[in-house]
Amino acid sequence: MSASQAAPAEPAIPQAHPAGARNGPGGAAARSPVRRLLAVLDLHRAWMAGGAALAFLAAFAAIGLMAVSGWFIAAMALAGAAGAAINYYTPAAAIRACAIARSGGRYGERVVTHEATLRALAGLRAWLFRRLIPLAPARLAALRSGELFARLRADIDALEHFYLAVLVPAAVAVLSVLMALVLCVIVLPAAAPVLLLGVMIGGVLLPLWIRRRAQRDATRSVAEAGMLRGLLLDALRGHDDLLAWGGVAAHTARIDALAERLGGRRSRIERLRAVGGGLAGVLAQLTLLAILVIAVPAVRGGVLPPAELAMLSLLTLALFEVLGPLPEALAQWHATLGAGARVFELADTPPPFVEPRTSVPLPAAPAIVFEDVRLRYAEDAHWALDGIDLTLAAGARLAVVGASGAGKSSLLAALLKLYPVQTGRVLFGGEPLEAVQGDVLRRHIAVITQHTTLFNLSLRDNLLLAAPEAGTDRIERAVRLAQLEAFVASLPQGYATVLGEAGVLVSGGEARRIAIARALLQEAPVLVLDEPTEGLDARTVGELYAALSAVARGRTMLLITHRLSGLARLVDEVAVMDAGRLVARLPVDEYLARERGA
Amino acid sequence: MTAAQALALVAQAWLLSGILAEALLRRAPLARLWPQALALLLLAPARFALSVGARDTAERAAQRLADSLRGRLLRSAQALGPYRLRAEASGDLITQLVDGIDAVQAYFARYLPQALGAVLIPVLLLLFVFPADWLSGLILLLTAPLIPLFMSFVGHAAEHASERRYAQLRRLGAAFIEALGGLVTLRLLGAADRFAQHLDEQSEAYRTLTMQVLRIAFLSALVLEFFAMVSIAMVAVLIGFRLLWGELHLRAGLFVLLLAPELYLPLRALGALRHTRMDALAAAQRFAALDELPPVARPRAAPVAMAEAPQIAIDRVCYAHRGRTAALRDCSMVLHARRVTALVGATGAGKSTLLSLLLCFAAPDSGCIRVDGMDLTTLDADQWRARVAWVPQRAHVFEGSVRDNLLLAAPQADVAALERAAERSGLAPVLARLPRGWDTPLGEHGLGLSGGELQRLALARALLRERATVWLLDEPTAHLDAASTRAVESLIRGVAASRTVLLVAHRLSAARAADWVVVMSGGRILEQGPPSELASAHGAYAALLQAEQS
Repeated sequence: MSASQAAPAEPAIPQAHPAGARNGPGGAAARSPVRRLLAVLDLHRAWMAGGAALAFLAAFAAIGLMAVSGWFIAAMALAGAAGAAINYYTPAAAIRACAIARSGGRYGERVVTHEATLRALAGLRAWLFRRLIPLAPARLAALRSGELFARLRADIDALEHFYLAVLVPAAVAVLSVLMALVLCVIVLPAAAPVLLLGVMIGGVLLPLWIRRRAQRDATRSVAEAGMLRGLLLDALRGHDDLLAWGGVAAHTARIDALAERLGGRRSRIERLRAVGGGLAGVLAQLTLLAILVIAVPAVRGGVLPPAELAMLSLLTLALFEVLGPLPEALAQWHATLGAGARVFELADTPPPFVEPRTSVPLPAAPAIVFEDVRLRYAEDAHWALDGIDLTLAAGARLAVVGASGAGKSSLLAALLKLYPVQTGRVLFGGEPLEAVQGDVLRRHIAVITQHTTLFNLSLRDNLLLAAPEAGTDRIERAVRLAQLEAFVASLPQGYATVLGEAGVLVSGGEARRIAIARALLQEAPVLVLDEPTEGLDARTVGELYAALSAVARGRTMLLITHRLSGLARLVDEVAVMDAGRLVARLPVDEYLARERGA
Repeated sequence: MTAAQALALVAQAWLLSGILAEALLRRAPLARLWPQALALLLLAPARFALSVGARDTAERAAQRLADSLRGRLLRSAQALGPYRLRAEASGDLITQLVDGIDAVQAYFARYLPQALGAVLIPVLLLLFVFPADWLSGLILLLTAPLIPLFMSFVGHAAEHASERRYAQLRRLGAAFIEALGGLVTLRLLGAADRFAQHLDEQSEAYRTLTMQVLRIAFLSALVLEFFAMVSIAMVAVLIGFRLLWGELHLRAGLFVLLLAPELYLPLRALGALRHTRMDALAAAQRFAALDELPPVARPRAAPVAMAEAPQIAIDRVCYAHRGRTAALRDCSMVLHARRVTALVGATGAGKSTLLSLLLCFAAPDSGCIRVDGMDLTTLDADQWRARVAWVPQRAHVFEGSVRDNLLLAAPQADVAALERAAERSGLAPVLARLPRGWDTPLGEHGLGLSGGELQRLALARALLRERATVWLLDEPTAHLDAASTRAVESLIRGVAASRTVLLVAHRLSAARAADWVVVMSGGRILEQGPPSELASAHGAYAALLQAEQS
């Protein structure tokens, strides 16, 4: 089926983007994901470094405990056999100190490293969400929200591993190996190369080998986990459709097949990690044996004090314990980088607009002018707007009618600075839109669109999204004008009632009226209505009508509709669109007369 | 396998301590130590094979379990029926299905085998430590059980906190999916940045909660680490002194010292996995809660045998959604075969609810729907729906191409059937505009498709199901212009020639094509009859007509 070969629905439209607009957290887009991740983590440098230091302290104490104990036991046995005196206070105290440093260090390390990671992640999540804001909807249309969701949450969570499971173990391993090598060189220089070789194989070559083997599965499993989320989302949100059309079983089978494939990949990755862990154990034994082969003759030859043989052996074993997490760390490494690369790729998507640094002031009663505007959504797509010239004087009330697909919604997309226009320009209050920040522009335009999203917040908070500073009086007035009073009264907790996801407990008509109340609260000089009565019955439209004409009074208004019926009195003029062009503009009475005649 | 691993460990320690003791005390030459070294060399691959085998087995078992769990959960979520499924935020459900299952899988793949090892390995090792040195054995025996004891003290508090963390994670998931879905709305309201702050606060709350859990969880690790380290230190020091006094052989001393950390290792590893268990338990509780919600499905057995358009009698049907006032009160009407019946009324009049009942998404609380005399609740729901073509108000657009989305209605349909359906529904011109025609991928909520285009897609889907004898249409012309509306109306007339058609609309003009009109308000039927008769009567229909024409 062709679904699997889905190409991006919206090929990138060439845009002029100054490099400065593409900066990541403290870095430019050209840098590798690793360096950018480090740049993100760098914001929490103190926590990160503290965590690594504590981790090293704990590892050092663990190695020290075994090494000193080994030496101590051997030395005591030798002293006992020879009947010689020995200073046992110092090593015994060192052993106890190591034990305490180990326990305390481990606790501190864990608390600090996790705190550091969570701080960095919270920052990264917020940063990414803010990067996505200017991309909606123009640059996010090709992404499914299930996948977007997976990227935002799962990928960022996966990045947790970068510091906890990759950076910290690596730093600890490098420092521990250095300390062990220094000790080895002091005690028995001949053994140092062997120890180094063992450590290099176990700590570098083995993890690299595992990384190479796991690479493909790791990359794909991240992508497939995203797909699985998307399919599950379809299964739950599209359940009605699946049920009605008898597609539940087939869809469930798709989910099962994907889950099985993903499970297979994860099993292979896990197995590889197990092999890595096992091989590290084998290597520890081999290195130990090799060191014994060098050290035993050295003891016999008197080059190495016997007690230090015990120390060296236990040191080797303890050192490999520190290397243990490394193969897993590098297996994680790739999955983490895959997630990181995707997060940064998403974040680096150039926004459709380069917003001006400062916005020109806009008049209180702005006029709207379209000058030869052409807009299309993809390079190979048809022109959604094909040379629009339209002037809307301040205070004018214009309806734009036309068949679906005529370009009415695209007109709004251009006006609201959601999609870039390819040629021509749009002027708002005499200012070209390039000179106006999108957010400032949209503050001046209250919009009621075809699709209203209600958030999982209380009704009050949903209304306040439009005007956070509005008091109870203003809210109640807007609710009254939007004919929502009865609805509010029917809610169990009134304004404090939390609306379900996507406004589930709210009917289509109620959602529209909440959107109208929101638009009323915004108190903008321009009002844009996109099919405002769709889904409302004739009686409610009649009731809403008075409110709409009251709020439209004194405001510039653009009404987008495919059917003017019932809304004719809201406007003075009608513009007719067809195939991206404006084909007629006439007073509303003439338009109605012409319609009746037709 | 765990026991074999422990035995290999003991053998290794015994051999190594032998080599070291010989080399240290007797300054033995390498030649005398070869046999022991060789044995040591041979043990390494054995341990390797055992450890890989053990992990692999556990992983596979956990994978199987996770698969069946996901399937069962999805099915029980689906069994909730459309109404309750919509009420459960789907971002929430997704988090549960994916993250919860991962948590349970991790529990079975890692925690359970480790828990077995944590019991088995220390016991086995102690069996060997005691003969070598009873005093060390005693120390280890006394300290090892203290670890799980202290851990469980600390663990209870952590478990409670973990549940809250899980709830917070779910809220975080729901908030994100929602914010992304409504990003355009947020931008239009100028509220995107403010909502980002709202998300920040939630993230921050999540961090604080997580750290609370982790601090306690790590506290149990601290206790464990402390006991393990201090008793290893004690063992080492005591062995040292007895060696000095000649009460113990060096080999035994080294043997015990080598085994002592291994004795605590499985307990420590278990402690590190403690949050795995807590996450899995919290997830399991949510799963159980989901499982406990009773499914709406009733036993439906009778096969649906109807090649002809049926007559559907709705007889005094009442229905109320969970926790809301009655949506349908005492509704009676008859949908005649080969006729178009229109159901009109204000938003919330109960029209869509009636459609849901006809689709077997829910069963009437009282009253009865009869299809050719058979009670709908006794029919096989799937077979019944196979006879129904449904045009919803807002069709869900699935991941996949336009073609995939249509084939949902008839997986076996060929190209000619697809083209025919596209032509009749008015989807063909839309397809011509799409960059890749039939292969154009459709995104979440049909991004790229307008409301009108979506309606044509839903109509084409319905047309593709050629054997359907019942058509249920929910506002089929809501987003269409006058010309398209007329085309759809004539399409519906054509369809009705051999089918039973129910059309739901809030606008009277949309009911022009109907033979029979039912006017509803507040879940009740106000009046019904042929449109011409209703228009001349002075009832609700006439009032609506006037309101619309003004």
